[in-house]
Amino acid sequence: MPDRMSQPSRAVIFFCKVNGIDYEEIKVHISKGQHLTPEFAEINPMKQLPAIADGRFKLFESHAILIYLACAFPGVADHWYPADVFKRSKIHSVLDWHHSNLRRGAAPYVFNTTIAPILGRPLNPQVAAEAEIILSSSLSKLESFWLKGNGRFLLGGNQPSIADLSLVCELMQLEVLDEKDRTRLLGPHKKVQQWIENTRNATSPHFDEVHRVIMLAKERQQHQRLKAAKNEGGSNMKRPLVSRM
Amino acid sequence: MKLKLYADRMSQPVRAVIIFCKKNGIDFEEIRVDIAKRQHLTPEYAEINPMKQLPAIVDGRFKLFESHAILVYLASSFPGVADHWYPADVFKRSKIHSVLDWHHSNLRRGPTTIVRNTVLAPVLGRPLNPEAAAEGEKFLSASLSKIESIWLKGNGRFLLGGNQPSIADLSLVCDIMQLELLGETERNRFLGPYKEVQQWIENTRNATNPHFDEVHKILMKAREKLQNLRLKGANNEGGESDMKRTLHSRI
Repeated sequence: MPDRMSQPSRAVIFFCKVNGIDYEEIKVHISKGQHLTPEFAEINPMKQLPAIADGRFKLFESHAILIYLACAFPGVADHWYPADVFKRSKIHSVLDWHHSNLRRGAAPYVFNTTIAPILGRPLNPQVAAEAEIILSSSLSKLESFWLKGNGRFLLGGNQPSIADLSLVCELMQLEVLDEKDRTRLLGPHKKVQQWIENTRNATSPHFDEVHRVIMLAKERQQHQRLKAAKNEGGSNMKRPLVSRM
Repeated sequence: MKLKLYADRMSQPVRAVIIFCKKNGIDFEEIRVDIAKRQHLTPEYAEINPMKQLPAIVDGRFKLFESHAILVYLASSFPGVADHWYPADVFKRSKIHSVLDWHHSNLRRGPTTIVRNTVLAPVLGRPLNPEAAAEGEKFLSASLSKIESIWLKGNGRFLLGGNQPSIADLSLVCDIMQLELLGETERNRFLGPYKEVQQWIENTRNATNPHFDEVHKILMKAREKLQNLRLKGANNEGGESDMKRTLHSRI
């Protein structure tokens, strides 16, 4: 049960596609409030996405879902969620860190600068400002600690894990931001940018397919901004339209 | 080489790990890192945990931080840990991951936020912030309500309908215990409506005593001192620097 505008939903869809896990995608549109219906509450009483139902087994929280899928479905390569207790523990560590850091910064920042009006909610610049501090700090920690060393992925790995999927999907949400904000936030962090590219390459063609909805949202946002600029007298007409990806 | 645990018992996630170790007979060396004295912000501690938070463990050359990751590691690596703490069954285990994850974005944002912005603010060198505390109260109330009606649904004595505790029970109960610092009246204001939650806290305490009470002693002592200082402050208008000095010397 996903909505592909939801970062954690994308991570789960992504994982299933990359690992050939057969699933039925049941769209629950957040923008239409479908996650708040009593029907969906039967699936997930927390009224959030994603959620899965595997036979009679229901589960929510994207990290718990990713771990379940990695453990329960045959043919999932070890690097996604290694059997080795030390490697696995480090993955738990970054997934947990993510909740209180990158997610805690990125999601409210993007919501309160860009997405809120799409869902009929007001932008909140104060929340955005506080979230930006957490987001910047998290990006720095990714650059200097989680991506330390010579590995192409988090924790020095040379193959992606569920942690890479989860965190990169979060960062892809930044695509809908105003280009200058996105550049300001991501620009200083070369390793982070390279890591996003590594993850994309390692999971092609699914990465681009799963993120199509975000890239479409990005284009719409850019058009809106151009339109708004034109209406104000056209001072910003040279804003680039080409995707940085 | 003994497991090293970097700890300040005023921290809820630290307490969960300590209780787990004691209950399961895991031998460890508790290395005190005093948050009120900002010892977690030193370059020495950053070598252990660059995120500068507690708890962290060092097991031989293996370093780990994030309390849930630590609890899972300990449950998986040490012999003699009973299955109910972190079941091998993938379905039960997944449900435990689900509640532990939910915790981060929900309950965890409650008691800590309230306490840091009210009673503990002077000790931590922070200003009182009733607005932030009010935000924390919203998270707390919403979370307690969900625990009461969803996570404690059914006839089990613990979360997810279990009849024995898991690492999830330890983690969440230790977090709620932080409300003790607010004093009995405030604590009861928050917990009063939730009978299942109160029973579950008691169940968890009984299942892990005497360790639960022993580990929470520091909280009870801190609560007394905070109450005494508030009374003194009300009498002398002296307050904040006294509070800080006294708590530093006695905790």
